[in-house]
Parts: sequence; structure tokens; C-alpha cells
Amino acid sequence: MKTLALFLAGGALLAQTGLNPAKLGAPPVDTWPTYNGDYSGRRYSTLAKINRSNITSLSLAWIHRVNGSPGGTGPGGRISATPLEIGGILYFTMPDHVWAVDARTGREVWHYQWTSHGGDHIGNRGVAAYGNWLYVETPDCNLVSLNMKDGAERWHRPICDLDQYYFGSMAPLVVRNHIITGVSGDDLDRPGYLESHDPETGALQWRWYTVPQKKGDPGADSWPSEEAMRHGGGMTWLTPTYDAELNQVYVPTGNPQPVIAGKARPGANLFTASIVALNPDTGKMQWYFQCSPHDTHDWDATQTPVLFEGDVNGQKRKLVAQASRNGYFFVLDRATGRNIVSEPYVKINWSKGVDAKGSPIPNPAKEPQADGALDTPNQGGGTNWPPPTFDPDTGLFYVSASRAFSVYYIYDPSEKPEGWGGNDRGGWGESMIQAIDYKTGKVKWTHKWEDGGRSGLLSTAGKLLFAGDGSGNFVALDPENGKPLWHANLGNAVTNGAITYELDGTQYIVVAAGDTLFGFAMWRE
Amino acid sequence: MPVWEGLLKTRDLIRWCGLWLMPTAMFAQAPPAFQRVCGDCHAIETVTSQRRTRAQWQESINSMIERGAKATDTEFAAILDYLAAQYGSSTPAGSGLAQEGGGRGRGAAFSPGPADKQIIDEAAANRGRKVYAAECITCHGTHARGGDNGADLVRSEIVLHDRYGSTIGPFLRKGHPTQTTPAARLTDAQITDLSHTLHQEVYNTLRAALEVQDLLTGNAAAGKAYFNGEGKCAACHSPTGDLAHIASRLEPVAIQQQFLFPGTARGGRGRGAAPMRTPVTVTVTPAGGTSITGTLVHLDDFNVALRDSSGEYRSFERTPALKVAKHDPAEAHHDLLDRYTDRNIHDMVAYLETLK
Repeated sequence: MKTLALFLAGGALLAQTGLNPAKLGAPPVDTWPTYNGDYSGRRYSTLAKINRSNITSLSLAWIHRVNGSPGGTGPGGRISATPLEIGGILYFTMPDHVWAVDARTGREVWHYQWTSHGGDHIGNRGVAAYGNWLYVETPDCNLVSLNMKDGAERWHRPICDLDQYYFGSMAPLVVRNHIITGVSGDDLDRPGYLESHDPETGALQWRWYTVPQKKGDPGADSWPSEEAMRHGGGMTWLTPTYDAELNQVYVPTGNPQPVIAGKARPGANLFTASIVALNPDTGKMQWYFQCSPHDTHDWDATQTPVLFEGDVNGQKRKLVAQASRNGYFFVLDRATGRNIVSEPYVKINWSKGVDAKGSPIPNPAKEPQADGALDTPNQGGGTNWPPPTFDPDTGLFYVSASRAFSVYYIYDPSEKPEGWGGNDRGGWGESMIQAIDYKTGKVKWTHKWEDGGRSGLLSTAGKLLFAGDGSGNFVALDPENGKPLWHANLGNAVTNGAITYELDGTQYIVVAAGDTLFGFAMWRE
Repeated sequence: MPVWEGLLKTRDLIRWCGLWLMPTAMFAQAPPAFQRVCGDCHAIETVTSQRRTRAQWQESINSMIERGAKATDTEFAAILDYLAAQYGSSTPAGSGLAQEGGGRGRGAAFSPGPADKQIIDEAAANRGRKVYAAECITCHGTHARGGDNGADLVRSEIVLHDRYGSTIGPFLRKGHPTQTTPAARLTDAQITDLSHTLHQEVYNTLRAALEVQDLLTGNAAAGKAYFNGEGKCAACHSPTGDLAHIASRLEPVAIQQQFLFPGTARGGRGRGAAPMRTPVTVTVTPAGGTSITGTLVHLDDFNVALRDSSGEYRSFERTPALKVAKHDPAEAHHDLLDRYTDRNIHDMVAYLETLK
């Protein structure tokens, strides 16, 4: 209680220019203050000035290209971060870089660059904000706090060990006075964990390992030995969601290690490839649901656990839903973790059905084999990290989905494979938007893309669903039936999930494609 | 690696891309596939902040294919050409990878692990193997993955924090409980060698270091029956026609990948280039107009583009009145993906492997 009071006092003082903490719990309107806009992970906006009847007048308001002119000295790369918009400024990242740009014009306000000591630069999902401070993870395992006003570094603290091939990519989650950070990395066999840090000093508040660390720990009986569990993976690649009323964060966890060759880790390998509810004050687990028991396909469950209130057999329930990388759509009661729906949202060939708890039962014949096993989904999964959206107006859960095949091979036939020990190869597949009825898990409509596509999604009260195809088109679809209503070719496939906010009466839609951020607004005089 | 040896000898691929006509210095633009293939997974800076020789770029691309990069052979060839021209180096990066430098200190920082990771000296690692066999192997196992009496050294933080003996040396000098030979008797050079050996074992667990094992587990007679029967392969293919000597040209894994995923698979190991995919074609019919058929260049919800028989590029906006019919010659292969059993696949590989 003391902490809360202090935080509220601090928040009130800081709210004038920085982030008003109350905004984190509310549907975003004039702000997009956290990775998913609000805590729910729905990526649904109540804004409706841009809507189904006027969408054809949506036009480009500004662009911001971070790489500058050809031959310039920009950082290169793509923007896979979801920008935050606070007080008319957008804050977004690429690995080792943070930018603040004017949310009305796209003009740069400041740019911060971290001097790197290595790490996988595959992508960075964005910053978190608390009061007047920003927090970003670096590929070389640091949590950096910046002053929102000018990008000046306040401090940095290590959150993982680069020598163990961990790296940072997650957009941190702020819950009251907890800066929650995750770790990435699946090259070596290390344990995944989530940490909470003090917002002012960065000091560690708690660490929760996704895998048991010794015999007797919860989940330890799903591993053959301490050696296996302590090196069992389960990285925390993706920003969790949060229910303030239940005071639970919903953490999606990564695949077990070794990744492909699972011979030396028989068992379900808890709590990898799972959705886990944690108490954010203590880091203690409340419940878990495993999406991929004993995964051997690199199918982490690090897709957003989306929170909404729903109707289950006539009863109003607090739900959490995930379209998981293994091709299953799950709906759980988020107070208890009890399973309500487990249904494939793309055709799959690796499961023998689900067990009494609703977790899929992997078919051992479809685990990777020395001579190859033809599997669907492929390693990319039925979906991947790009954020889905839930539209409460249609009651549909939308996800960028793939139906793809590949052959999974065991490369290391030894008794103790390590690291990967195999991989998948080749592939053919199709990409689509799937609109899933959360009550049944059945796909209500499919919009297939001709040329791939795997973007994040946004839905709005304007009866619009924003997505990107594989050809560089940013597309507004009718959420009722998937019909394209508007599009603009950005010259590069969409690389994040779009956001929206209203400033001075103008609603903006902002999306990244490659190295460029695009701002759209209604046609203006 | 093998595929690329094959591909790069194939001037046709390069000509097809239209790249050979231009001096390499003019390659201002990345090939269309570059962003899609490379940028789909990671920041392009991972790639473009580095300077590598053509051979090194080949290795990088192979490693990315292992990690799931998807493109046609032609697209990979174009990407390689682009990288070699734009981000090439006349000297191998080699040990330079260990240092800060190049690209404003960003160079090697962009692969997994620390930027100052140990660069293996093969000769030292081989010498270290002898030290390992004498001093360590009994307890720590052939590949340093531990056993009942010794820790897993691949997973050891002492090893992972080590650079050229920096932490292994002090640890061994202090002595550890089951050490059979007093550590002090190892010279500095032996410790450095041992360090190379152990880091090599760590790197050997990384995905790019691994290779396909034996695929020839099927029954050739059953594969032949599938080819002529249920698979309906004989409707388009012939063991004495297009598939004659296929097994002389392709490794078993390439054979398997080619019939499962034609056009996206890679070729054989020094046995020549992979067959080119028959192009997808499209027929566009404007309202009341004449049909135009050509090689599909682009198709999305809103536009379609093709190259017609005279080589002209044609582009159309898709409207309800415009009929668009796509013809993918590999469609029968895609349909089979839902029907094969893994047994069918292994039998087919065994059968095709007989076509030497």
C-alpha cells in the first residue's frame, strides 16, 4: 500500500509532461502508452473518426525514414517496434536505437544510440514508459533508462549474460512500480526468466525462472534431471499482458532447449511453451497452461495472451485467448487458467488431439526424424510474434496466419544433443488473416494473401481491421468479412503492428514498413 | 557450400537477373527479394554493417537457409551478387570478426553472442584435442557434454566466459577435485589450445554447424509403386526423361526437398545446379478484351503484373471485371503435401536415388 501511494504521488507529479499511469489501464484514445496500447493486448481502439464509410479518404500525413538518404550512415534495418505515443511524441526503437518523433509531423525530436557489445540484433519490440522515463532492452543484455524529454541516459543495468548468448529484444512491461523485462536467445541451452526492476534505480525486485531449477520445484517432474531442466530454455521474448483487478500478468513462454532434438529431455518440459499467470509484486506463479507440451518444432508460445470479457455458455467470464505458434487457438479462464477452447485455426498434422486439460498431445511420429518428418505448421508457425487483435464489436479474434509445410530433421542422433540438434528445411505455404470466433475457436472468415504477409494487426471502433500483405500493401479490411476497403503500398511489407491515436481532433494511424514510419490521417485541406 | 558452388557457375541465373550487364559498383538497389528474405527475420543492418568476401557471404547465406530463409535459387543468387558487390571485401574478415571495427564499431556485433567471441584457430583446436583426450575425456566425454563423473563443459559458464584460456586457465591451475593430472603441468599454450577445442564444441551445437544424416531409409520398390500409382507422378515425370540420372545430380536431401517443395529447394552437393523451377504463369482477361498470358511477375489483391511472350512488362489494376487466372505448374506438388505419409516420402527418396 505504501508503494502504491508513493507511486500515485509520483505519478501525479510527473503526469503533466510524462506518462499518466492511469492511461495504462484505459483504452487508448489520445495516447498509446504501452506496447499493446493498453494492458489487455487487444489492440482495439475506440476511435472511430476514421471508419468504414470514409476510409477511402485516408491519406498520407507524414513519413519518417530512419536510415536517411542512400549511402547515409543510418543504422539500417527494420522497425518491428510498436511505437508509444505520449503527449504528442512517438517513441520507437530498432536494436541499439531509440527515437522520439513528433506524432503530428514525423519530425525527429531526439535520437539515442547505444554502443553495442554484441548480441543478436534480430529486432526490438519497443520502449516502456513510466512517468518521465523510458526503458529499453539492448541486444547486449542491458536495460537502459532514458529521459523522455531529451533521450539522455539515466542509467543502464545488466539483465542477462551475453556470453550465454542471451539477448534483449522485448518491450518491457510497466506494472505500478515494476519494470518487467524478458530475455531472448535460443542458441545455447540456458533457462529463460522474467525479471522485475525498480523504475528509479533499476535494482532487481524479483526473478522468475520459466523452468524449474532443482528437483522438487513446481514442474520438475516434467523433466528427466536437474541438468535438463536447468538448461531447458523457455525464453520470454514477448511483452506480457496484465489484469489489474486480478493482479496477474500473463506471460507467454518460449520453446524448450535443446530446440529440435528433444531426446535428452523426455517429458512435458514445464513451463516452456506455456501461458503463465504471475503475481507482479512477488513473481510467484498463480497458474499455467501449456500450449505445446514437449515441443520439438521451435513452436514457442510467445504470442500475445489477449484479455477480454466474454460470454461462455451464458456466463460472463474473464478470458485470455492466444493464437499459438503451433496452430492452436486457446481460450482460458484467466482467473484460474482453466481451458475453455482448444481448436486449430489452420490445418495441422502433428497433434493427436488434446488432453483433459486442453493441452495438445504431440504425435511422436511427427517429431523431427533423421530421415525427415513432413510437418505443418513449419518452424515459422501458424503465426509468430506479430501482434493479433481482438475486436469486441465483432467478437472475433484476428491473427496473421500461415499454413506452411517443411521437413524437420534430426541432425545430431547422439544421446545428448545440445543447442539445436536438428532443423527444418524447405517449405511451401500460404498466408492469410484468420477471423476466429472465440466462443468456438472456429474460423468465421479467411482472407488469403496472394503473396505472403505476416504483419501485426489493429482493430478500431470505426469497423476497420488494419493489416499488411506480403507485397508492401497496408490494408484496411472489413472486420465482418475480410473484404479489403482501402490500401496503400508502402514499398516494404509492414514490419510491426499499427497504432492509432487522436491529437487536436485528428485521428492518426501509424505503421512501420522496413526502415520507415508512416503516419496516415483523413484527407485535409 | 555445395549449393552455391553449383549456382554460381550458372551464369544463366545471373544473366536472368540482368545483373551481369552492370558494373558491380552500380548496384545501388538491393534485389527485390533482399528485404523480404533477409529483413523478414532480422534487421538488415545485421547484414549490411559487415564486409565479407564472396565466399564468406555464401557461408552466411547458407547459414541463413539453415535457419529457415525462404527464397528461390534465383533470388538467393541475386542476393549473393548484391552482397558481394555492395558489402564485399577483398580480404577475409577472419579474426577481424573478433574486434570492434568496421561499420563504426558495429561489425561483428550483429551475430548472436558477444562481439568479442573467441575465433577458433583450427590448428590450436586440433592440438587441444590431444590435451583433452589425455586430461579431460574420461570424465567430460568425447564432445565435452559431460557424464556421470564430469560436468557438461559445453554448458559451463566458466567455458562460456572464457576467451583464449582467460577463465579456464585460472580454474585449472587452482585444480579441481577429479583432475588426474595436476593442472600446473599444463603450459599456457596447452590451455589456450584446450580453450579452442572447448569453444569449438560449443559452436558445434549451433544450428548452422549441423548436417542432414542418412535419408535412405525407404523402400525403393514401394517408392516406384507410389510414383506410378497413388502419387500420380508419372503423369508429368519420367525416370528416363526429366528425372533421368537425377540421383547423379542431387544429394538425397535435395531430391527429397525438390519433390516436396519444387522451386524452393536447394540443389546437390557438387553434383551440379538444382533444376530451375518452371515459372508460374498468369492469364489476364480485361472486360471485352483479349486474354494476355505471361510469366507472373506480381500478384496481390489490387494489382497483377506479368511479362508477356515478347518480354514486355504489363501491369493491371485488379477490378471485378478483370479476370485473373494463375497457373502454378507445381500445384499438384502442393496438393500432395496433405496426402503424403512420411513413409511415402522416404520410399520416394529411395526410388529416385536409384536413378543414377
